[in-house]
Amino acid sequence: MSKRKVKETHMPVGECISQVQMILRERFCHQRLPEKPVGMESQHKHLLELLRRTAVHGESNSVLIVGPRGSGKTMLLNCVLRELLEVKDVNKNVLPVHLNGLLQTDDRIALKEITRQLNLENVVGDKVFGSFAENLAFLLEALKKGDRSSSRPVLFILDEFDLFAHHKNQTLLYNLLDVSQSAQAPVAVIGLTCRLDVLELLEKRVKSRFSHRQIHLLSSLSFIQYLDNVRSQLSLPQDFPDTKFYDEWNDSIKTLCEDQLVVDVLQSHYNSSKDFRSLQLLLMLALSRVSASKPAIKPTDLLEASRVCMVDSKANILHGLSILELCLIIAMKHLNDIYEGEPFNFQMVHNEFKKFLQRKSHSIHNFDKPVVIKAFEHLQQLELIKSMDSSTAKIQKEYQLMKLLLDHSQIMEALQKYPQCPTDVKQWAMSAFG
Amino acid sequence: MVRYFTRLRVRRIYKWGGRPYIFDRKLKSYGFDVEGQEAVTTVTPGQYILIEGNDDEYPFVAKLLKLFGDESHKQKKALVQWFLRLSEVPQNKKLLLGRSPHPQEIFYYLGRACDDEINAESILGTVHVQHVPEDTPFPEPGTKDTLYVKLSWDTKAFNVLDPVLMQDTSASTPPKPAESIHSASKLSASKILSAKRRGSAADTPGVRKKLQLSIGASECLYLRIRNYRAAAMKRRPIVRKRPIVRKRPIVRKRPWRGRPEEEIARPPSGPHTKRPARRYVWLWNLLDNTQELISDGDDDCFVPSKKELQSSSNEEKTDSEEETDSEEETVVKKTRGRNCKTSVRTPHKTPSKKVTPSTPRCATPCIPSRTVPARQPGNILEEARARLHVSSVPESLPCREQEFQDIYNFVESKVMDGTGGCMYISGVPGTGKTATIHEVIRCLQHASDMDEIPTFRFIEINGMKMTDPHQAYVQILQKLTDQKVTADHAAALLEKRFSNPAPKKETTVLLVDELDLLWTRKQNVMYNLFDWPTRRHARLVVLTIANTMDLPERIMINRVASRLGLTRMSFQPYSFKQLQQIITSRLNKVKAFEEDALQLVSRKVAALSGDARRCLDICRRATEICEHSASHPSSAGLVKMSHVMEALDEMFSSSYITAIRCASLQEQLFLRAVIAEFRRLGLEEATFQQVFVQHRTLSRVEGLQPISLSEGLAVCQRLGACRLLLLEASRLDMLQRVRLNVSQDDVLYALKPVRD
Repeated sequence: MSKRKVKETHMPVGECISQVQMILRERFCHQRLPEKPVGMESQHKHLLELLRRTAVHGESNSVLIVGPRGSGKTMLLNCVLRELLEVKDVNKNVLPVHLNGLLQTDDRIALKEITRQLNLENVVGDKVFGSFAENLAFLLEALKKGDRSSSRPVLFILDEFDLFAHHKNQTLLYNLLDVSQSAQAPVAVIGLTCRLDVLELLEKRVKSRFSHRQIHLLSSLSFIQYLDNVRSQLSLPQDFPDTKFYDEWNDSIKTLCEDQLVVDVLQSHYNSSKDFRSLQLLLMLALSRVSASKPAIKPTDLLEASRVCMVDSKANILHGLSILELCLIIAMKHLNDIYEGEPFNFQMVHNEFKKFLQRKSHSIHNFDKPVVIKAFEHLQQLELIKSMDSSTAKIQKEYQLMKLLLDHSQIMEALQKYPQCPTDVKQWAMSAFG
Repeated sequence: MVRYFTRLRVRRIYKWGGRPYIFDRKLKSYGFDVEGQEAVTTVTPGQYILIEGNDDEYPFVAKLLKLFGDESHKQKKALVQWFLRLSEVPQNKKLLLGRSPHPQEIFYYLGRACDDEINAESILGTVHVQHVPEDTPFPEPGTKDTLYVKLSWDTKAFNVLDPVLMQDTSASTPPKPAESIHSASKLSASKILSAKRRGSAADTPGVRKKLQLSIGASECLYLRIRNYRAAAMKRRPIVRKRPIVRKRPIVRKRPWRGRPEEEIARPPSGPHTKRPARRYVWLWNLLDNTQELISDGDDDCFVPSKKELQSSSNEEKTDSEEETDSEEETVVKKTRGRNCKTSVRTPHKTPSKKVTPSTPRCATPCIPSRTVPARQPGNILEEARARLHVSSVPESLPCREQEFQDIYNFVESKVMDGTGGCMYISGVPGTGKTATIHEVIRCLQHASDMDEIPTFRFIEINGMKMTDPHQAYVQILQKLTDQKVTADHAAALLEKRFSNPAPKKETTVLLVDELDLLWTRKQNVMYNLFDWPTRRHARLVVLTIANTMDLPERIMINRVASRLGLTRMSFQPYSFKQLQQIITSRLNKVKAFEEDALQLVSRKVAALSGDARRCLDICRRATEICEHSASHPSSAGLVKMSHVMEALDEMFSSSYITAIRCASLQEQLFLRAVIAEFRRLGLEEATFQQVFVQHRTLSRVEGLQPISLSEGLAVCQRLGACRLLLLEASRLDMLQRVRLNVSQDDVLYALKPVRD
């Protein structure tokens, strides 16, 4: 840092680090498309061919891309679209329409969005774009007017395809798929979904119109490939301005990936889920620990990040409870043991708690009932206990039936870690019966 | 009659000749007078006559009993005794004959289902009929122009014919009492229809009534029939060259098709119109020979095209051979019961685009057109793919001939009569319901372009293509009159339109697709749709389509179901042979598939759904696979079994097992835990909490670090998102119940190889 070399490419470490963070964050958070989708070459080819035929030959198609969350459905599609639009003939020839089942929650909104994206509005001039019925008629008319050879192909991309199947009568799907199966304007309907049973959601006349092409993205990634992927995700690109830092960083990443601790962490991550989203989250957390004073990712960073990722959310809540609340939870645990998971009410818990106070407690004073009720309500607000009755208004608070949303192991673990937990409380928790 | 004449390009003019006679003095003569020539056929009661029917090759045969006219002298009527050809006997009854029929055999008709009063203007000429006793064999086929009668047919069985009936009783047969005609006419939908159709437009029930009144004062007539040969309209040579006759309602072959064809092709030399015509065809050949072509000025309704004019000169020479050819095509299904069946129409090239009433608007919505034109298919596989696309309009619709025929007849008869009616068509998706109707309409449009039937309007609405059942009114009205109004107003306007008489109203054919979506709580949309056709002035034919066969019973209230009527049809799923035929006809000589491969696809689809769309999609996918598997796109050969197998696998195989195999270790473990818990509980359902305990135990057994509860829930949710598991709402947290969406065996099967 102090020695500024003649080489122009040499930058101070701080600048390098910020560069690195920028590049990698873009990769992890902004979902930058990779050069080539990994591990899905055949699917990539299939989809590309299909869309190219629509674009070039005007052949209507419909296809579903199915895969679990984070398996790269959108990434694949975007890669294909990018590649498709690079072809010169195609560039000006397709009209992509993006819809998302979470945004377009009914057909009315979806139709508005389609007409907006197709720029059909200006065709109507200053005519007020009217009712839902008119919208539908208008769009269908527009699509019907087109024919295979002369009109531009429209690519309908339906993200969260399964949600469209819940629209009333599946009107939109029926019409889009019907257009794709009749001699009208060429369209390609591309659905993205994570539900394997999506076809069962379709009504049979809608289903019949769908071409039954499904591209499954089920990653059969091995751990070795997973590790490779981690390495390439963390490595800097060739065009990094500082060559020295580039070499150092990439070397450090290489050694990092060979470290046994790191391999173990990644293995447990891989065991839990193979998707890249959760991996990126992990790497992101590790990356944020990099600073100018510590210009590389250390194995402990990754371990720490993994701990953050895998932490049990309820254990954290338990650590923040007061002793009284903890005691109530222990009482509930005993009730659960005695009544084999049957629901309980406040009165039972209070009795149990009082028994404990009378018999065993040395350190804990008696609390007034309203105080205990308050603690109980706090637990309910934290959703550590859940009311079983649907109508809460009718029954008095004390007698509402509740269930504990904690596992035994969670309670015991929390007690171990609880700072300055009284021993008699601990013993009470361990004892078999209240 | 109209169609008949367009087919034969002959116009005849019938004229009464002679003086009126009083009733009991019977009519003596009745003649054909061919204009310009003295070719007059005289028909007297007692003679056997040919009556124009649906089939120009085989006109109806009957014995003339009486001729009479109505008061106004406009209607020329005849009373006849019908004879049947074997082809007119219903298909399933033909076997009752028990022997192979003589080609020229006819049967004495004893049934009462046919109206025996016909329009005299439908008489074509005379024929010789000879009674052959039961046990004597048929005479040698030397006498070609004679028909033989041996048995009678009473719509149920063939009986030995009482020779008394065949006596020449022309003078002694008492005229049928008027009420018998009346009752017969009630019975016979068919003959009345055909008689009506033959008659002029004025032939309404009112006229028939008059006829009955005037029957006592019948007249004796002398009828001149002028035959115009409208040469300009001949088109047969053009048409005959088309290899595929797509729009003809051909259904069945005649049983006596095996006959040597020269027999018909060679007419006896020397014109003899007085001789009884053996066969209608050469009757016209005779006329051809004897008469000059007359191109009258009053033919102006027929405007011949140049092509037609050119070909008309050839027509004269090749007429007889053509008749031979045409016999192969001219096969019409016809039964006595439903005599209103279609006639043979000249097969013409259908217009490639459907004629839809265009709706001019101020703003025409359209998708912007492309800058680079679409590329045309380059190689055989691409060509095949284009042809196999569901959207491509095939040259023919194979395997739906019967349904086509029935719908065609239904709509045609309604259009002809200017009446209305409803028809309900059901069938699972992809069985060609809508396509068949479109085809029918295309054919009818063409027929009406040819002036064979009156013009009509075709309107199509689809329950799925509207947002609300009441939009149906708006859409119908918009397509009818191009008005844009609200639903209520549209309903009122349509109501008015269909209930009030209007001059020159044309029939409207309304296709309602996806009928079940027009259901409303009060069902008034459906009610109106089915009620309008029953109005006297509506002239509305409603064809409805839905998927379920019992829709009328299931969702319609009684008054709606009753108005829908019982004209129903159901489209069966395609069998594998039909599917194969569909693909073959679509490919139409583009050789892209191996035979076995096609058969595999069609068998597979037929076994599963019988959905033609599915079948085509699979074939299309198979061509893609074939193309990809080849090293060069150009070197790709035929689509083979392996490609088809791959396509089938892709489309039909369930992905659950692959999904389980590709799941992460913890997910697999969770599935195992679910099964273990199910086994423990003996139930197919467990709470997450219970499963998680199992999961923890299992991961200890496997030597894995137990995961935290949050992580376990995440695993569970991921499986739930794929629908490998069915979960309750996640707000229930640990208490949510878990079920498997796959069978336990499948899960175990999928997990086995991984574990071992």
